[in-house]
Amino acid sequence: SLPALMKDLMTNACHRKCVPPHYKEAELTKGESVCLDRCVAKYLDLHERLGRKLTELSVQDEEMMRKAAVGSG
Amino acid sequence: MAASTRAANAAASNPQGPASVGPSVDNTTLQYSMILEHLIGDKRPVKDLNPAVMGGLPVPPKSDEQKMIERGMESCAFKSLLACVGGFVLGGAFGVFTAGIDTNVGIDPKDPLRTPTAREVLKDMGQRGMSYAKNFAIVGAMFSCTECIIESHRGKSDWKNAVYSGCVTGGAIGFRAGLKAGVLGCGGFAAFSAAIEYYLR
Repeated sequence: SLPALMKDLMTNACHRKCVPPHYKEAELTKGESVCLDRCVAKYLDLHERLGRKLTELSVQDEEMMRKAAVGSG
Repeated sequence: MAASTRAANAAASNPQGPASVGPSVDNTTLQYSMILEHLIGDKRPVKDLNPAVMGGLPVPPKSDEQKMIERGMESCAFKSLLACVGGFVLGGAFGVFTAGIDTNVGIDPKDPLRTPTAREVLKDMGQRGMSYAKNFAIVGAMFSCTECIIESHRGKSDWKNAVYSGCVTGGAIGFRAGLKAGVLGCGGFAAFSAAIEYYLR
């Protein structure tokens, strides 16, 4: 399902960026939790913006294809 | 980006590929943009973000009070308050201890061999203890507060946070005695912090 997939990708990306592999203690430190908050916010923002941009581009593409089809047909 | 969507559209619509249903079946054609809008755009279905649905481990949801308490305990203010109280206690103990070692009380210039009375000794211990306690409390609170702020700003937690905040604290303490003392305080406290971090990590 799409939300679970997105959560998996987001978890992997933010874990790679924010949690260095030094496991001295079990709790998330303040720096790491701050970094994770920011990572999740940026990920979701990026996801929304990319989705909108992709939709816009594909709408433009379809308009062009339709005009080409109408012009040639 | 535009070229690849054009290629995808061409591949989809020209040979009547899987993304578009041709007019031989029915009159609708699925368009890439419509699919995108339903998947990742504005028309996607609203799903509740239940961790059980999203594939996380089943964990009982935290109540609002628990979340608030945990957020308060992780905040910079609480940490510096903890360091302040800890510094006060430690400074008091240290002051009382050094007062026992380094007696300079009750020295009567007329009679240098007189032993000080118990009341004088206790008063001296109390004063020294209180003065050391206040100093330690202030230094501890400042160090903890600056370290928490620097760590929140950088978003990482490593040894450099302690060194930077040691420099800030030492500099602030020494700055009252002039710029050179401030720089010396910064360097000394930062080196001390680095040594402690090296030992701890």
